[in-house]
Amino acid sequence: MYLADPAFWTELQRHTLNCYDEALLRQVAARLVKPRNQWPVEDLIERGVATLENPAVIDRRLHDLTPPARRVLALIGLSRQPYWQLGNLVELTLALGHDDGLQPVLELLEAGLMYPSLHRGSDTGNGNGFSDRKIKSFEQWLAAPGPMGLRVFAPPTIASRAIGEDLGLPDLSAEEPQIATLHPIQEADGLEWLLRLAVLWQQVHAAPLRRTLNGDFFKRDLERLQQDPLLSAAPADRLTDVPDLPFLTVALAELQGVVVQSDGELRAGPLPASWDNGLTNALETLWLDLLRLSAWTPLDGWRAGESAAGNPFPSAYLLAFLLLARLPEDATVRPETLERWIVTQHPYWTNESLRPSRQKPWLETFLLGVAYPARLVQARRGEDGWRVRLTPLGRWLLGAGDAPNLEAVPTQTLLVQPNLQILAYRQGLTSSLAARLTQFASWETLGAACMLQLQPETVYRALEAGQSFEGIRLTLEQHGTRALPPAVLDSLRTWANKRDRITVYPSATLLEFTSAEDLNDALARGLKAERLSDRLAAVANEGDIEYRLFRLAGTRDYALPPEKCVSVEADGVTISIDLARSDLLLETEVPRFAERLDHSASGRRQYRLTPASLSAGRSMGLTLATLETWFHQRAGQPLPAAARMLMTAGQVEAPRLQHHLILHVASEELADGLEQWPQTRELIEQRLGPTALVVAEENVTVLTERLHAAGFVLTKRVERD
Amino acid sequence: MLNDPIRPAGGARIPVKLHRRVCLVQTEDGVLAEELMARKKLAQDIVGRLTECVLLVRPGRVESVVQELQKMGHTPQVRSS
Repeated sequence: MYLADPAFWTELQRHTLNCYDEALLRQVAARLVKPRNQWPVEDLIERGVATLENPAVIDRRLHDLTPPARRVLALIGLSRQPYWQLGNLVELTLALGHDDGLQPVLELLEAGLMYPSLHRGSDTGNGNGFSDRKIKSFEQWLAAPGPMGLRVFAPPTIASRAIGEDLGLPDLSAEEPQIATLHPIQEADGLEWLLRLAVLWQQVHAAPLRRTLNGDFFKRDLERLQQDPLLSAAPADRLTDVPDLPFLTVALAELQGVVVQSDGELRAGPLPASWDNGLTNALETLWLDLLRLSAWTPLDGWRAGESAAGNPFPSAYLLAFLLLARLPEDATVRPETLERWIVTQHPYWTNESLRPSRQKPWLETFLLGVAYPARLVQARRGEDGWRVRLTPLGRWLLGAGDAPNLEAVPTQTLLVQPNLQILAYRQGLTSSLAARLTQFASWETLGAACMLQLQPETVYRALEAGQSFEGIRLTLEQHGTRALPPAVLDSLRTWANKRDRITVYPSATLLEFTSAEDLNDALARGLKAERLSDRLAAVANEGDIEYRLFRLAGTRDYALPPEKCVSVEADGVTISIDLARSDLLLETEVPRFAERLDHSASGRRQYRLTPASLSAGRSMGLTLATLETWFHQRAGQPLPAAARMLMTAGQVEAPRLQHHLILHVASEELADGLEQWPQTRELIEQRLGPTALVVAEENVTVLTERLHAAGFVLTKRVERD
Repeated sequence: MLNDPIRPAGGARIPVKLHRRVCLVQTEDGVLAEELMARKKLAQDIVGRLTECVLLVRPGRVESVVQELQKMGHTPQVRSS
């Protein structure tokens, strides 16, 4: 996880400090680094980054802060979420009883212990995702924060040093009335959200969800989510109703990267890597994302497309958990008690102009409907409603306890049936097993025992994701309560084999050798390539080619337009190929419509278009248009007449032999005149050439008279031999 | 296609032609390759046959080839190298 990677944070700090104007950087460095000389900007940045890697220096800098600023850092440290909306931090500061919510945040920014989040998530002009625009002052940034909004971050190395700070929160269990009968404590297995995310992943993998411009879904997909029997169903151990449950799953999936936005659609992303590291890790990432949740709230349900700014719930969630962390370990509290404290302290709810619709209770929905299935809180029913407390996981996440061991002991928890159904008992299910099952089987029901179905498509999906037949078999055998039924094994093998029959390389790199011996030689010298033919080899990674072993005779890029490397001889049917400039396309195209000649010159290869070769081409789908395009692309000239004649033979009107009586005249102009003059025009059947006109036998007498009238004397007829 | 070769001496650099971003379909056997080439829709996108089991696909047509293979009931592995 990037949160635990110190290199990620030092690099982020370096880039952020680089976005500060020199004056601002010197102002921040004066408190962070405390330089004794006028160091260059680059040195200040490097020393600033180095300072934050030194816990002793961080502690000294924390000591210099005012208590409210230290509390803000403590809140961030306790939340484990380094990124916060600035507004939420202001709300938290005010809720803790400070008069000015912004001042502590500004103090942290000026001390270099908190930074504005300037990374846009995609590359900008300078290639690292950061804007080239320099920040002159934090007041300027507050007024015009840019596309990322007013978001700040405090690296975990800093925030974690402040978590010992007393936040002054009360123990609310002392206010709770004592009751006689309490039901046993309930704790979820923590798999509910993971399984729902897995179901959504499968749904989106099958068909993406299309989004409207304002961030909502198109009606069809909206209904698809609302009516999905698994996503819309309440959990088996439901404690309360959750509004827009399928959409809450979508919101969490987006934050977890289980679905990713691309071209206006939500598509399946990778399943979170944290799932492979155990349930504790998977739930920790879920906790972090709950504090970023903005597309859904317990009061409004799904609020697609609404801005994250102005959403008070992340700060309210954190306050609720911190209040729970203040309870003695065995004490419980009613959600309404927690909520009462929050709405009297949190500036959003203390605002007098708050509409009545915003004053409805919401915390019980969140704690029992969202946090309980995430295994963050335990619940117990009492006479006066539900009471909650943190689970060991929740206490650990909030720094109030040691890390719990949530891992189920690997057990045989799957029952694979001959009809390709898998029964998965939840008590033995782990997050990593759930991830693997999600890839090669589809979830049919979620409950204490979940049902999955093996299908060809699901197995192909798993194979495409990198699993293998052996891997799937091992998973089912290791976790199966019984031996794998032979019918299931056969189906898996058949599907896996079928998939191996065809491999598509969308963008392969090929090496073409002059001879089979050269290819063998290259492979013997360590070339990492797969032999495709005696002279061709596919290279997995072009970077692996050791060019010092090779002399490049040419390079062809098939994404570029084809190169002109063909010349046409005078006969119009013989073509010569320049071998130094040709490519594989040409080598496979030409034999489809031309015959190779034996007497090719060195460096060139000759082919001839013949009636037989073109006929064979036509039978394989070659068209006149294709051939014309090919000559334009490869020879840079139109299809030669002779080639066109051969190509169209049999497709045009048959040639015929015919006798004609031809009138020869002295000049082209005279022929034009005869064709134009109405007296003679109707007697001319056809013009054969500039001075030759065809006359019908029966019109000869009339034509002779009319020519005579015009002043011409028709000479005598020349008869055939 | 390379010029008629002169074999490099032992240790000498091997002449080679590099083909980048080539779209290929490799089949398990020649019969399957024939079957694919006989499919009218695929034939439009297949430029030719490099070897018995390797077909060369027209640049930019790989997605429609994969779709057509799936329509035929095949489950091609798409390898991005």
